[in-house]
Amino acid sequence: MSSNADAATGKKMTKWLIIILLCLGAAAVMGYIYLQQAFPAVECTAAKHLESPDEAADCYACHLKATPKVAQDWYESKHGVMLVKCFVCHGQPDGKGSVPFAVDPDVNTTCRKCHDPSVNRMVEKYGLQPACNQCHPYHQNSLHHAAYVKPKAKKSID
Amino acid sequence: MGISRREFLKYTAASSAFMAMGVPFAMAAGQNKQVDHWVKGVCRFCGTGCGVMVGVKNKKVVTVKGDPNNHNAGFLCLKGALMVPIIYAKERITQPLIRKNGKLTPASWDEAMELVVAKFKDAIAKYGVKSVGYYGSGQALTEETYLASKIFKAGLKCNNVEGNPRLCMASAVGGYVTTFGKDEPCGSYDDIDAATCLFIIGSNTSECHPILFKRIAARKQADPNVKIIVVDPRRTNTARIADMHVPFKPGTDLAILNGMAHVIVQEELDDYRFHSKYVTFMDNNKQKKTFEDYVKFLEDYTPEKVEQLSGVPADTTRKMAKIFAESSATMSLWCMGINQRIRGVWANNLISNLHLLTGHIGKPGATPFSLTGQPNACGGVRDTGGLCHMLPAGRLIKKKAHRNEMEKLWGLPQDSLNPKPGLHTIAMWSALAEGKLKALLVLCTNPAQSLPNLDKYRQGMARKDNFIALIETFSDAETVKYADVVLPPAYWCEREGVFGCSERRYALVGKAIDPPGQCKPTVNILVDFALRMGVDPKLVPYKNSADIWKEWRAVSRPTPYNFWGITRERLRRESGIRWPCPTEDHPGTRIRYVRGEDPNIPKDYKKKYFFYGKPDGRAVIWFRPYKGAAEEPDQTYPFVLTTGRVIDHWHTGTMTMKVPELRRSFPKAYVEVSTEDAKKMGIHNGDNVLLETRRDKMVFQARVSDVCRPGLVFVPWFDAHLLINKLTKDAIDKGSKQPEFKICATKVSKA
Repeated sequence: MSSNADAATGKKMTKWLIIILLCLGAAAVMGYIYLQQAFPAVECTAAKHLESPDEAADCYACHLKATPKVAQDWYESKHGVMLVKCFVCHGQPDGKGSVPFAVDPDVNTTCRKCHDPSVNRMVEKYGLQPACNQCHPYHQNSLHHAAYVKPKAKKSID
Repeated sequence: MGISRREFLKYTAASSAFMAMGVPFAMAAGQNKQVDHWVKGVCRFCGTGCGVMVGVKNKKVVTVKGDPNNHNAGFLCLKGALMVPIIYAKERITQPLIRKNGKLTPASWDEAMELVVAKFKDAIAKYGVKSVGYYGSGQALTEETYLASKIFKAGLKCNNVEGNPRLCMASAVGGYVTTFGKDEPCGSYDDIDAATCLFIIGSNTSECHPILFKRIAARKQADPNVKIIVVDPRRTNTARIADMHVPFKPGTDLAILNGMAHVIVQEELDDYRFHSKYVTFMDNNKQKKTFEDYVKFLEDYTPEKVEQLSGVPADTTRKMAKIFAESSATMSLWCMGINQRIRGVWANNLISNLHLLTGHIGKPGATPFSLTGQPNACGGVRDTGGLCHMLPAGRLIKKKAHRNEMEKLWGLPQDSLNPKPGLHTIAMWSALAEGKLKALLVLCTNPAQSLPNLDKYRQGMARKDNFIALIETFSDAETVKYADVVLPPAYWCEREGVFGCSERRYALVGKAIDPPGQCKPTVNILVDFALRMGVDPKLVPYKNSADIWKEWRAVSRPTPYNFWGITRERLRRESGIRWPCPTEDHPGTRIRYVRGEDPNIPKDYKKKYFFYGKPDGRAVIWFRPYKGAAEEPDQTYPFVLTTGRVIDHWHTGTMTMKVPELRRSFPKAYVEVSTEDAKKMGIHNGDNVLLETRRDKMVFQARVSDVCRPGLVFVPWFDAHLLINKLTKDAIDKGSKQPEFKICATKVSKA
């Protein structure tokens, strides 16, 4: 009888242990996500092998070779024509500048500098979205050809 | 494991829901925590004058964003968006400094001011008031320039009041005054949205006025039929959106503009009804002429002859002229490429000629529009009369009636103002080099980097027998090396004041934070200086810039400038107002010289246009002949050297070099060589190239590209370690006294 009770208690304990472990796991994942949000990745891989750290913010020169598609997308985008350069939104490869390095720039600290009225309008319409670029691809908003092609944004309006 | 699959799923779902909640929570919290309050201001950089909201948290500026209610509609360029680190730069000067044994050492305000005043008084006692002077800036507040000009002209009776706008805007002033009788553009930025042809000459709008370029690009995007013509020897980023990019031999702009006029009159594209009613034709000797005389004068400028001079194909000139004249509304935009020329005033006249000839003026989208380089050159210096020949609101020193009017407004005895105009910028720095000028107060500018032919003027600054008091924010500015006393001012958003941008729009820069250390607002420094100099306290009864603004409104009221309706309260409420604005309920003026738009014209005036700056109410089409640059390339110096900006840096880089991103984007100056020339000389990207002019020589790294036309090299002037202005020439326009920075002859060789 006592062994039965022991078995039952043991079973109960295992159950609680799993719950606690799961909670801890969830907390760890949350913590990780929070850290990701609060302290975005500190550097771009270029930081490790920059030929001239003095010119670290001339991202385009290097990315034209390293990631030609992204570089070309930027060049042909509105940001490219207006010369809103990489570092304005993404910071510098070594993260040592005044803008923290981020692959996905933060809406509040970055986009709002210029697009505050639009962000407010979007929040009013669709609620708070994690990132602008889910609907508006930053680099593919060309001035010349198919301007303002934003497939997802168009769909959601309908 | 005594846990069922169902239970496991339940727990997992609960914890992931919890997790998902966390993400938007973190972002929303970020938004709330970011800023305590926003303060409305204007960007510190170029003459576009974008509205900026300064975000303050715990009494510190943490971020900026565009002001949605100002003309920039919330947008900022890369410099504007990244300007915060400048405020907290470690190079900030936070206490007065006095040069002792060649070294700048900290001192008290009292000690520093006493020394400045002693030196000024000593110079005046020994050599008279002509031996002292003030050199200001298009970056100082309107109130600061007005006050400094008043202290020197009314208080000390000294007309040696100048400023760096002489280096950038003087020819535009000369152009507008000779053509229309009054300074400042007749149109506004709104015209960009209505223009169907944008004629951009001598301006790299994209890099020098990025937010205006954005507006132009948006116009082009909204209607691809809008024609954009870019006339520039360099194929800059501005040319990316152009229908026509027209490169030409530098210095031949006058011929091209006359050539366009030739095509317009020959092909009868002119608006005879307009120019027969509202235009006077005048030759170079100010003699009245007829339209027929003008047609005859233009016979010298056939497109074929223009082609020989400038290298612009005859057909291109014809096509440009046709697009210009036949569009429904043409707007011209120009900047330093036109102004920094020995015939800058003439070049300005010739652009306005095209507009007057075709009637492209005074209609939405049709206007000749000059762009300014500094945030308050139009506002602070041109309007308040901060130059050696001017008095506030367009009045002139040499006109007795204007002097008497100012004497009355300033409460001075009649005929007490000095009737002799002072020294213009180049004359002033020459006088310093020759030992004639003994004491100089320099405010908010960096002449040791920005003057042309620098070696000559830096030697002058280095003389031991003169005294330079400098009001400067950063210790690494070149001019600090030559200053005997440095006074620390409150920077940009650390004090309140007004900036006026290219389109006659005035907006308030609000005070967001307290200045660090012992820095004080320049207005207070100047009042202190005046009182110590023994200027009548009744002339400077100001506690802050708001007091001065009140007086400035009254001083402008009897003139067509009329700021009476632009009260401080309105400036706090609204994001910029364009003068003339005679009453508090007036919305400001978009278009000048047009009945119903310009409040200076009576509502029942009998005609639509009235150029009230001229005695007969008619604007002037001037016969300005072609004249080349002061120093054309020859066999020994076969290349043309031109200078300019890059988008990342502004002026002498004392501010933009403090932003890590901007500094590392363009850490140093370079020389831009055309692919063709580079091939001939075996120059590759990154090679060292020696530039040598008749004044000095210097080595730069090469950037080989197809931006420059062959025969031309370009060097940006922001770099304090590679002072390109040591190589530029100080030849000046005889009318505007503006130097020809844009053209000099140079040798180019591989170093």
